Amino acid sequence: MAKPKVAFFDFACCEGCQLQVANMGEMLLDVLGAIDVVEFREVMSEIGPDKIDVAIVEGSITDHHAVERIKKIRERASILIAYGACACIGGVNGMKNNFKLDDIRKEVYGKDYKYFDSVETRAVHQVVKVDYKVNGCPVYIPEFVKVLKAALAGLPYEVPDYSVCVECKLNENVCMYDRGLTCLGPVTKAGCNSWCINNNNICYGCRGMVSNPNENGAKDVIAKYNIPMDLVVNKMNMYNKCREIDQREQPKKKH
Amino acid sequence: MTLKRVILKDSEYEIKRARILRTKQMTETEKYFEIQLPGGESLDHEPGQFVEVSLLGIGEAPISISSSPTKRGSFELVVRDVGKFTGQGGRLTGALHKLEAGDEVGIRGPFGKGFPVRILEGNDLLFVAAGLGVVPLRSLINYVIDNRRDFGKVTILLGCRTPQNMLFADEVNEWNKRLDVNLNCTVDKADPEWKGNVGLITSLIPGVTLEPERTFGVVVGPPIMYKFVIKELLKKQIPERQILLSLERHMKCGLGKCGHCQINDVYCCQDGPVFSYDKTKNFPEAV
Amino acid sequence: MQYVTLKKERFDDFISRLAQDKKVVAPVAQDNNAYAFEPVTSGRQIAKDYIPTILPPKKYFMPQYETLATFNIGNGQQMEPVVEYERMILFGVRTCDLAGIQCLNMVFSERPKDHNYLVRKSKIIIIGYECNDYCDEYASCRLVHNHTPNGGYDLFFTDLGDKFIVHINTQAGDEIIEKTKLFEEANEKDLKALEALREKKRKIFANEVPVVHENIPQVFEKSYNSNIWEDLGKKCLSCGNCTNVCPTCYCFDVIDEPNLDLKTGKRYRRWDSCQSETFAKVAGGESFREERAARQRHRYYRKFKYPVDKFARLFCTGCGRCSRTCMAKINLKETVTALVAEQGLTDKKAGKE
Repeated sequence: MAKPKVAFFDFACCEGCQLQVANMGEMLLDVLGAIDVVEFREVMSEIGPDKIDVAIVEGSITDHHAVERIKKIRERASILIAYGACACIGGVNGMKNNFKLDDIRKEVYGKDYKYFDSVETRAVHQVVKVDYKVNGCPVYIPEFVKVLKAALAGLPYEVPDYSVCVECKLNENVCMYDRGLTCLGPVTKAGCNSWCINNNNICYGCRGMVSNPNENGAKDVIAKYNIPMDLVVNKMNMYNKCREIDQREQPKKKH
Repeated sequence: MTLKRVILKDSEYEIKRARILRTKQMTETEKYFEIQLPGGESLDHEPGQFVEVSLLGIGEAPISISSSPTKRGSFELVVRDVGKFTGQGGRLTGALHKLEAGDEVGIRGPFGKGFPVRILEGNDLLFVAAGLGVVPLRSLINYVIDNRRDFGKVTILLGCRTPQNMLFADEVNEWNKRLDVNLNCTVDKADPEWKGNVGLITSLIPGVTLEPERTFGVVVGPPIMYKFVIKELLKKQIPERQILLSLERHMKCGLGKCGHCQINDVYCCQDGPVFSYDKTKNFPEAV
Repeated sequence: MQYVTLKKERFDDFISRLAQDKKVVAPVAQDNNAYAFEPVTSGRQIAKDYIPTILPPKKYFMPQYETLATFNIGNGQQMEPVVEYERMILFGVRTCDLAGIQCLNMVFSERPKDHNYLVRKSKIIIIGYECNDYCDEYASCRLVHNHTPNGGYDLFFTDLGDKFIVHINTQAGDEIIEKTKLFEEANEKDLKALEALREKKRKIFANEVPVVHENIPQVFEKSYNSNIWEDLGKKCLSCGNCTNVCPTCYCFDVIDEPNLDLKTGKRYRRWDSCQSETFAKVAGGESFREERAARQRHRYYRKFKYPVDKFARLFCTGCGRCSRTCMAKINLKETVTALVAEQGLTDKKAGKE
């Protein structure tokens, strides 16, 4: 059986998630044994064929040019994997959506802003169909390998819809709230094996919110620990601003 | 002082390598499998029990046994492609749908308490099945037909969404032709060729004549159905302990441990899936 | 003689000698007054006054992630069931956690037996450690009668000031005493001191919830439709902290992990939680405990009602971990106190000497 043709693409992002591939270490050899990388701007100059099996897309969609380009990639690829927070949930680029588009264009591009195209930041699934998501900023490599295996086997991969706390407790970390810190673990989707907290950092919510957070309960918790509400909202919006597009465009789920 | 890994001989998680003898796509989302254990070994199940079906690397799921233990040498399952049906999940059932005769699956079981066949003997039986309910119920219906002399009057009520969704339509026709079986079907939505009833399964119950003290009502269907069917059966004066239900839960381990299938204080995989209504009425979480 | 003593200055030696030929795990201080069972090689590493560890010692009996089988489907559905174990000595297990292990023993010994658990259990030696006073305000060990030892250990240490008095409960425990050669026979005075300590504890440990112990199942029998569950549901974030840290929660999920060759791999189990949204969901999409209130109620009933009917034993060990870890401040003592009051079974004198 021929190895599947895999191509990497990037949009608005820091390319750090692609760099994670290089950071894989020994596992990289196993991965390269299972796939045939045909396009990867960070490491090679070749351009892949018209038809590819798997497109791995990093970055969010922030201008008309990107919209057209992602649509073309979608046409080329049998499977599209949104790769990293920017691609999966809009990520930090979503902060642009806090402002009026023209205001932010003026701020960034100055008086010539009219020549610079820009649209509301969108996650990849808010523009084209996405088959798999590898959340995280950056992606958690063991999860990327898991998703890759699912994609190669033609099986669905479901991002855990429980909070980071679950994995964090299994790792027996001291709770950040007990340390007096505000951590977004309780409302953020697991799957990263509480990577940040294992390394003494808080959770920034880079994997997106669980589908049914108890918002009132969370407000109570925040109040009890004497945490200002706007601080939490800002923290949440750092990665999750594009969630509003989902809420706006998708029919409300019953809960 | 290191972690040792050794083979565990008496593990309850060991699977048997079973071979698929025959498959049939029954509807868009339901596929039939005839399966044989190694060496044609008997599954030795009771009607109403279930097996855990594995595809290593993908997962394991509980599936009701559809064939009667009177069928020797192989057993039958019907698998719904959950992903296709509900639009989410269904890793395993989707993969099972891709299998054909000659492929292997892993089998553990049979598990659970099935229908109390000995207690049913000598009594009249009123079978009520909706949707996929006919799949597990068929194991008992065919058992009863194969031992027809041991049972009293047999009435079968079936309901499904459309005539095309009717599972085992040929077999249902055979049941219908028998003198010793009364059968009635209903669909939610008819097509021009449909000559039977249209409407909910509950609408068939008032028309059945029965002697309640010697009748067992055996009910299997989607969770939403039970409340309404039980109400009708009680109206017919069938005693609570003579109403039998098979409940659907996520029986992950089959061993009464993992907790997923728990209904109040009972484990559906060990204490069920068949329960009598006089028991389940005390379980607020049952239906 | 069932009792021996160990001078405190010999304690470091004792742990070092144990650690020479077996892995020893004991409570080790983390930051922010948190503790965890970790491997140690000397007594100095062990925390002296510790509150219950973040995770109970159940992590050694049923690890968070546990391989059940390895497989290779290159030639059909071929799997090999396995058990992973490690010989070890658990030192410093509090009476609440001893009770927790006893509960798990009952569950996994019940047919069909869980041989993975039973094999692992047979390789672990348990050394208990008495609490002379409350660890903190979350504990409710007196309520469930776990403030004093009820067996479940090989050796049991009690701090008598300048020495430990040690109860030898099993042959395996006695062998440790023989082998380490650091112990002396307990004399009349030591036994008197132990008795005096227990007498003192009877005054310190008073019922944390004002209810007669025997009435607890009755409270839960009547509380199924209480509004208190709704109150908990409004607070709960479904993070699963309470069940993961509970010494008697044992629910799990079974997951397959293939390797990149998509042929070989393993089947493993991982702790799961009845508090999670999808826990009681079936293939058709229905969830049988969709509301947080129902899930919280289920957790309490699995501690105070269902196991009483099945195993004649409360599955709450009184360790207080669920309350200590809950960000939403769902507090077990407060919940049970409220339920008791609602049923009119409050008895202010209960459990007090």
